[in-house]
Amino acid sequence: MRSPFLRAIVVAGCLLALPGGAVRIAAAAADPNKVLHVAIEAGDDGFDPSRSTNYYSGLIEEVIFERLLTYDYLAEPVKLAPMLAEAMPEVGDGGKTYTFHLRKGVYFTPDPAFKTDRRELVADDVVYSIKRFVDPKNRSPWRFLFAGKIVGLDEQEALAKKNGDRFDYNAKVAGLEVVDRYTVRFHLTDTDFNFAYILASPTTSIVAREVIERYSDDTKGHPVGSGPYMLAEWKRGSRILLHANPGYRGFVWDFQPSANPWDQDVVAAMKGKQMPQIGVVDVRLIEEEQSRWLAFQGAEIDYIDRFGSFAPMAIPGNKVAPYLAKRGIKLYRYLEPEMTYYYFNMVDSVVGGFDKEKIALRRAIAMSYDIDEEIRVIRKNQAIRAETPVPPGVVGYDPKYRSSYHYDPALANKLLDYFGYKRGADGYRTLPDGKPLVLTLWSTPEAIAREYDELWKKSLDVIGVHFATAKIKFADQIQKGRACQMQFAGAAWTADWPTADNFLQLSYGPNVGEDNYACYKSAAFDAFYRKAQQLPDSAERNHLYLSMVRQMEVDTTWVMGATRYKSTLFYPWMLGYKKHPILHAPWPFMDIDNTKRPAR
Amino acid sequence: MTAYIIRRVWQMIPTLLGVILLVFILFNWVGGDPAYVLAGKISSAEQIENIRRQLGVDQPFYVQLWIFIKQVLTANFGASWSTNESVSHIMATRLGPSLTVLVPLLIISTLVAIGLALAVAYVRGSLTDRAVMIVCTVGLSVSILVYIIVFQYVFAYKLGWFPVQGWGDGFWHNLIVYASLPIIILLVVSVAPDLRLFRTFVLDEINQDYVRTARAKGVSENRIMWVHVLRNASIPIITHVMSQLPGLLIGAFLVERFFSIPGIGREVILAVERSDFPVIKAITVYVAVATMIVNLLTDLLYKAVDPRVQLK
Repeated sequence: MRSPFLRAIVVAGCLLALPGGAVRIAAAAADPNKVLHVAIEAGDDGFDPSRSTNYYSGLIEEVIFERLLTYDYLAEPVKLAPMLAEAMPEVGDGGKTYTFHLRKGVYFTPDPAFKTDRRELVADDVVYSIKRFVDPKNRSPWRFLFAGKIVGLDEQEALAKKNGDRFDYNAKVAGLEVVDRYTVRFHLTDTDFNFAYILASPTTSIVAREVIERYSDDTKGHPVGSGPYMLAEWKRGSRILLHANPGYRGFVWDFQPSANPWDQDVVAAMKGKQMPQIGVVDVRLIEEEQSRWLAFQGAEIDYIDRFGSFAPMAIPGNKVAPYLAKRGIKLYRYLEPEMTYYYFNMVDSVVGGFDKEKIALRRAIAMSYDIDEEIRVIRKNQAIRAETPVPPGVVGYDPKYRSSYHYDPALANKLLDYFGYKRGADGYRTLPDGKPLVLTLWSTPEAIAREYDELWKKSLDVIGVHFATAKIKFADQIQKGRACQMQFAGAAWTADWPTADNFLQLSYGPNVGEDNYACYKSAAFDAFYRKAQQLPDSAERNHLYLSMVRQMEVDTTWVMGATRYKSTLFYPWMLGYKKHPILHAPWPFMDIDNTKRPAR
Repeated sequence: MTAYIIRRVWQMIPTLLGVILLVFILFNWVGGDPAYVLAGKISSAEQIENIRRQLGVDQPFYVQLWIFIKQVLTANFGASWSTNESVSHIMATRLGPSLTVLVPLLIISTLVAIGLALAVAYVRGSLTDRAVMIVCTVGLSVSILVYIIVFQYVFAYKLGWFPVQGWGDGFWHNLIVYASLPIIILLVVSVAPDLRLFRTFVLDEINQDYVRTARAKGVSENRIMWVHVLRNASIPIITHVMSQLPGLLIGAFLVERFFSIPGIGREVILAVERSDFPVIKAITVYVAVATMIVNLLTDLLYKAVDPRVQLK
């Protein structure tokens, strides 16, 4: 059939003969010959959005399932966009009700669990999916996203616990209103202007009740969604093969560039294309850094974003090494919306409390720590100093903000001298009352943790503070942190949703016993926090965030650590790559130019 | 013989109980509470209690111990706390890749070590013998990690003789394409100590009177070495080889990690990292049972190889 005209008539005829021709057109865009080879560094734990906390599970869930909202691919700072919703929600009652109108004609991928050939995604599915977060049997690690927030949901959970963990999914929950087949309304217990961000989290993806009930013993092994890809093969602990979903509605790539110069090339390569273009995503588990690095160099994988100790030879001076650049390999580098920190136990008898000498001790310790050395030596220059608990890329981040104290051991020594922390004959200080002064860092037993221990020892020796370490497993660290039983320990936090609130809740008084491991209770901080929760994104709310950060500095509850860069090296046949700070799987927004790829 | 076997099987019961008790005490003492990890971020005390209740770790110790014993008796260890995958499925799917590497390795390594041991023992004290022993000592001193890194870089990446990593479908495809380099590496690592050990066993026999007698009778050197000497040296060799069999159940986690082989070794390490008690319990008990069975088989083999051995 050489004539393009004849070919067009035949193709059009076939499409018209099929129901939902537009959908089939979208599916036709994905080319099964465009295969993306991806490596992940740790195993997934299955694909049930409300039950997985694993990063790599989330990566796959992100493209198999859909949620009400998502993010614009290019916008900086991040910007919400509709996904299953037709438009952004109607927010009413001062931020207490959110109404979503769903797209019509969105279907789950076919599965034996469905009685019909095509199962449409409707408002009842949204309500069902949200209820799953508080079903005690699910033990959802994401329960906090909805617990205490939706009218009547906690009561339903309590009832389930009374009934031997049997959650009644048929019972109405006042806060989850199905207005009609395609409209769902959330009624919140309190004003929450960040609620829309929660509904953009891939964790809140929509699942079908029939599927969950049919595979109740192994919901993580049967992901059935409505997203651009579907699970074609899963070898646990080895390989995940995704195929483009033939029933996916598709979309035309039409994102607007942000101020980031990178976006220009992305737009030029992708604008106007019917998506998704990539037909197959082949994800392999490659745990070891050397193996991943060699696999990338051998073009067995198309991009690499975890190459740790190979960074100096891959991106010396944070630029692509010449031998890689010759092969057309490009680098995309961005700061992750996260930060690391060390926290003092504010109820500890040595470092805790709000007396001036205690604050002076904590501040001296904070000023003794050379975070720049940590970044240079341990992190191989793949991070920047965190000035505030609110990292870049997060709503409420102020790039001009500077912490009121930095590395200054001389000043730290003067501060300790002034407040009576006297040095003994051995050069080490005692408390003002003459009792021994030892700072114990509770850290995990891995080799990398020892490098941090050594840096702390070196730093504290300069100010004459005895240093000790206590080794503890990660699970026990959480347990002791919650119980306020560790004097000093390190932690990290990555955005669950991209607003400052998600980071500052770590210091909110009522969260002691949960994630406020510093056991910090400040009336001033808590008042700022509560007020900020009542406000939408605004200059006033940002000002309150800054006030909270300053209050933490005044009390010196944390020693700020670093915000890490994520660097991705990729081959020139990958088109349209840009790593979104919150979304982790860029595959539905990308294309592959097979003509540039060497034969495998 | 039957009475001996029954008596040995009977003795396995208290041994297994000891293993169960030891694993249980160790896990509860140093294992950490998995509920705190499973609860995820921003979790309430109530949520953690709910998880502990569902996992059964809130029960008194004696109840948990009894549940463990029942699991051993029924060979049903439930599901992984982290992934919800049934432990039996983990064992069934991960053991195959590990055995694809380790069984050929054990066979080749044993044959090569025995052959070389006989050869160098035969020329004991010669330059060849000394050179081989020096090479073995040097080889023993180098960490397996070095072999893996160097071999993967040179033979897989630079020369392209093998894939850098991966695992596919089908036993033969995996054995030839993906398992070859890991087997070669493990062979290099394991032959040196085996060779030294087996050489000692052979040397113990080579100066015995029966060897001298055989030579005096004009028996060929090949027959002396491969039949008479080897047969008498085989009891310690069997002991050594059989003692390695239970190890097959726990895989070779380093090569599995570096070559992305979805084996049981990686699962063991993951289970320990995640405080995934059902998986740890199952593997520990399986290894203990395998060790006891292999010990019994070893004793029976002694009898088969040397009729002078009396089983009491």
